[in-house]
Amino acid sequence: MRIRTIIFIVFILFSQKAHPQEEYVIDWNISGLSFEEFVLQVESRYPVKFFYEKEWVKNLTLGNYGNKSDLNGILQELLNPDSIYFYNGAAKGHIILTKYFAIKQRGEKADDNQSYIPEIDYNDESGESDKSRNILADIGNPADKGKPGSVTLTGYIVNQETREPVAGVTVYFPRISAGTISNSYGFYKINVPRGNYSVRFTFIGMKDKIIDINLYGSGELDIEMKSVLVPLKEAVISAEKDITLHRYETGVEKLNVSSLKLMTTSLGESDIVKSALLIPGVNSVGEGSAGFNVRGGSADQNLILLYGAPLYNSSHFFGFFSAINSDIIKDVTLYKGGIPAKYGGRLSSVLDIVPREGNRNEFKGNAGISPVTTHFVCEGPIIKDTLFYLITGRTTYSNWVLKLMESPGLANSRAYFNDLNMRLAYDINRNNKIDFSTYYSYDEFRLNSDTTYKYRNNIVSFRWRHNFSSRFLSALTLNNSSYRYDISSLRVPQESFILDHRINSSGARIDFNLFMGKNEFNFGTELIRYRVVPGNYLPAGDSSIVMPNSIQRQRGIEGAIYFDDKLTVNEFLSVNAGIRFSSYFALGPQTVMIYDPGSERSNATVTDTLTFGRGGIYKTYGGPELRLSVNFRLAKYSSIKLNYNHSFQYIHLLSNTTSISPTDTWKLSDYHMKPQAGDQLAAGYYAILNKNKIELSAEVYFKKMQNMVDFKGGTNLIMNQFIERDLINVYGKSYGFELLLKKPEGRIRWSVGYTYSRVFLRSKGSNDEELINSGNWFPASFDKPHDLVFSINCLYSRRVNLAANYTFSSGRPVTYPLSAYKIGNIVINHYSDRNEYRIPDYSRLDLSIRLNGTLKSKKIAHPYWIFSVYNVLGRSNVYSAFFRSVNNTVRGYYLSIFARPIPSISFNFDF
Amino acid sequence: MNLLRYTGLIILLANLTGCTIEFLPETKKTEELLVVEGMVTDQNRINRIMLSKSVQTGQPFTSKPVKGARVTITDENGLVNDLTEFPEGTYNTDSTTFRGHVGGRYSLGIELNDTTYETDFIEMLPVPEIKSLYYEKTVIRAGRDSSELEEGCSIFLDSYDPSGKCLFFRWDYVETWEYVIPYAALNKTCWITENSDEVLIRNTSSFSQARVTKYPVLFISNKTDRLKETYSILVNQYSITETEYKFWEMVQNISQKVGSPYDITPSAIPSNIRCVTDPGETVLGYFSVSATTRKRLFIHELFMGQPNFFTYCATDTLSGELPQTGLNSEFWVIEDFSDEIPPFWVISTFRECADCTVRGTNIRPPFWDDK
Repeated sequence: MRIRTIIFIVFILFSQKAHPQEEYVIDWNISGLSFEEFVLQVESRYPVKFFYEKEWVKNLTLGNYGNKSDLNGILQELLNPDSIYFYNGAAKGHIILTKYFAIKQRGEKADDNQSYIPEIDYNDESGESDKSRNILADIGNPADKGKPGSVTLTGYIVNQETREPVAGVTVYFPRISAGTISNSYGFYKINVPRGNYSVRFTFIGMKDKIIDINLYGSGELDIEMKSVLVPLKEAVISAEKDITLHRYETGVEKLNVSSLKLMTTSLGESDIVKSALLIPGVNSVGEGSAGFNVRGGSADQNLILLYGAPLYNSSHFFGFFSAINSDIIKDVTLYKGGIPAKYGGRLSSVLDIVPREGNRNEFKGNAGISPVTTHFVCEGPIIKDTLFYLITGRTTYSNWVLKLMESPGLANSRAYFNDLNMRLAYDINRNNKIDFSTYYSYDEFRLNSDTTYKYRNNIVSFRWRHNFSSRFLSALTLNNSSYRYDISSLRVPQESFILDHRINSSGARIDFNLFMGKNEFNFGTELIRYRVVPGNYLPAGDSSIVMPNSIQRQRGIEGAIYFDDKLTVNEFLSVNAGIRFSSYFALGPQTVMIYDPGSERSNATVTDTLTFGRGGIYKTYGGPELRLSVNFRLAKYSSIKLNYNHSFQYIHLLSNTTSISPTDTWKLSDYHMKPQAGDQLAAGYYAILNKNKIELSAEVYFKKMQNMVDFKGGTNLIMNQFIERDLINVYGKSYGFELLLKKPEGRIRWSVGYTYSRVFLRSKGSNDEELINSGNWFPASFDKPHDLVFSINCLYSRRVNLAANYTFSSGRPVTYPLSAYKIGNIVINHYSDRNEYRIPDYSRLDLSIRLNGTLKSKKIAHPYWIFSVYNVLGRSNVYSAFFRSVNNTVRGYYLSIFARPIPSISFNFDF
Repeated sequence: MNLLRYTGLIILLANLTGCTIEFLPETKKTEELLVVEGMVTDQNRINRIMLSKSVQTGQPFTSKPVKGARVTITDENGLVNDLTEFPEGTYNTDSTTFRGHVGGRYSLGIELNDTTYETDFIEMLPVPEIKSLYYEKTVIRAGRDSSELEEGCSIFLDSYDPSGKCLFFRWDYVETWEYVIPYAALNKTCWITENSDEVLIRNTSSFSQARVTKYPVLFISNKTDRLKETYSILVNQYSITETEYKFWEMVQNISQKVGSPYDITPSAIPSNIRCVTDPGETVLGYFSVSATTRKRLFIHELFMGQPNFFTYCATDTLSGELPQTGLNSEFWVIEDFSDEIPPFWVISTFRECADCTVRGTNIRPPFWDDK
């Protein structure tokens, strides 16, 4: 029997009338017996049955108990020194052993006279079921109850049905306003003074649980929580209001899957990246564009982690859909401010996608269709509670979008994408868990049946989690992630070609998590090997006269070690100090051109050519990255956090278009290209207002970025042999203020986020061609000073859920041509200073309604419909401005991508 | 790598949900910049250099000639040729004393109000003949039966330089087409001539031969009347330097292939003409040196689904006496049925329905080939 099931059993037992306790006399010789032998003898003589974990009692031998001859006395003497407690007040003579805490019946009075902290009225929640409150657990040795000082309570939280660990559960001690959250293993740890408490365990979409404890000493309390309604990712929009107060870092946002599912997106697909855009401080160049920008960082500065591996292209179909199927997501955390030392390699943010582990108990599934795709999920155990799987897939089910159009150019065009996720997890035992995950995404866009664009992501990841003890955890992760695209043109056999680009990274990392007293140490190491094929340009077919051409490959190794300590100094001050040493080694073989440093890089200014052999390190970068957060708890319901961050980035996405595109190429830092470096300073104020109902967070940040990449005007990035000659070194600074008000609970839930932010860039170079706007500061293309997001969700009834979402943002900067001229009949626009003008402001309202089928729980399938309308107001929001000569005059045009309301329906059912 | 731009996606989006709206850009007033345009060729003709000023965005292109400059072309031997201005802003070489030749190197110099501009010496590269210039019928829309068929025309060219010296090609073209008013009008048949306004370039340096195959010169849709009667195109082929190729590639990327989510970040396009006296002054335009060959194609074939552009013409019919006032100034007779009884005339208030010289010339081009 597992300890995790004990509390569940206790519920069942308590609901029945407790038997009067009887005295069982042990009047035979028990000395020298093992505990198990003793139990067998007792069970054979008396109508009792013991429940316990063999692990606890294997070293116990019965001694001589002299004058004591009753069972209770012997058990107490034998077990209590090992922190094992027993309860024999249950029905049918069941005797239940527990470790680290004791069970008492509610009828027994809690040790209220021994509380060291005055009782205050904390219980402003009502309607809590009594049933979940009739447990009283003793933790530690009651003999220690008079001792002063704090003790540590730890434990694991699992989902009762799926047996998955539940991360992010708020463990809250209302009486002293102390709390913590469970980590990704479902483990929690908190330091509190001895005393008696009601501990509240709360999590989105799960039934709250309240456990009364008498805390005498350090101990363990494992909890099972039960999902509300349907177990399959059927959480409701909510958030962990205590988390914001207790997290150390500023700028951490957790997104949850059900809010994601209800959000209206352009074509009825729920989309993780598009939902991230609702978070203050996150924006993009425009709707439908790939990538996102966090606090003024460029789109390649976001580390998107899937199964712990970096995802290099996060979108399908040129950015209209996210490449990550939301069916696999358990939750998503976006670190936009305080990035823990564990993560590195990108300047602006970490989007950590935590996938669901799969149902451990029974087979479950879900399938659905939306206007664009059809998708399915299957999950279940192969061996119950031990070996289980999760498979999800998604595909566009027809080309109908293109077929709708009678355009001649598209008659032979087709667009197609799919993705597949598989995960197999094996719980070897409580302390050893392994899982294996794969991800594959594929896109194909064929233009006029002769040019084909294909691109794909591939991730394979293996993870072994080992717990040395309940306070010392570790995880080993091995992964490989790759992205490649190829473009082929077969229009003319003589000129037909295939062009491809690849990036491949293999990573290995070990992370340790150690709880010691008031400290939580996180440390570990990470090693990534990169291989980049910048471009291969090959003839396709025998008649092609294309000359095979390859740009020399790049290789590099990024290594890092990190250490951080979350120290709870006292109830009011906690500090998270971390340091990460990262380094990057550019590896040969490589031929490097050296240029005269005083003049513009060109063929004429090459002063030397260096050749490095295979495996030779030709350039090394690196340094310490400091991560520091301080959390001051001001009062019961508010806190202030300060945060400083330094990071390096060794891989870069080369893009010279407004929005990043799937055919942009990745490049590693090398002889000429320094790593990007960033510093961020942030401060935040967090409060819970209006009797725990409304959360407020306000953050300010200032950020500096160095060595970002831009290009000389009109540079061709693809198959560019000497890209260093066209690079422009850009520095950036950004600052902003983010305000978020949220009511995450209740029938009507809403949130309002407002951001004021600016981002400016500046080029550095020795001559005019290397300068943008003569080296003056200019706003970045995604500089949108004002940004307002309002969303509201109304649970009208259990079957009907209404949601609305409104977004407003300032128009982004664009470059206008100030004048124009002609060569022959060809009109040429003369563009001047970059990003001097702005397109009109952006405003959009979306509505959606979700209808659940009947709530009958025994039904085979649970269907639900989502009807949504994107851009209800039909506003022609401007994406970009462009200029074209019509009738002998250069005229300006605004391009809108979604210029009218777009309704969509999706149908899903759980089975 | 023009193929890398998602022209298809632009069409898709525009059709699906998007739209483009014209707006009036309110830009600050800018100074007018000097624009230089001109070419030295190996042809036995006058080479012209045009000097003008740029126009503000949103203003119509009107001629703003820059007059009174001293314009010179210096060749590889240091021989300076002075150009003579005629008409204003256009500076001409003397075709009797100056003619470019392949292998020669030329530089442009301009002196204007104490300001001096110049270019580097540019070598004239050889250019092959256009190997072939041809067209293919393209189905624009295939209806349920042949009467609904709509056809357009794609014009291609092949070129090949066996010497392998011409790596960077540029073309421009002049279209001429016959135009017939379907009424018994004053001037029935005319010819319209238009110059190309698209950048046509090809880089063959990534090929094992200097060969261009099936280069799409232009596509003629059935939205124009080019294919109704005889159509002709004259394509000029130039051998340009790599530097000039990059200039045109930028023009293509920044000024022409625009209007998609993947537009290249625009920037100023550097000219090969620099100001010597004030290096900070921006000069626009390009001085080009190139050998030239040309080829002409006639298209006489019948294309299906060509629309009638004259449906609006017949404004009214008149019977009885034909009034004289206003005739051929306010209204025009496009059909004369004076021999009918009773006599009547079909009139139009649109002059272009009765007089083809509104759009073209009624002088038959000397090269015109009627089959």
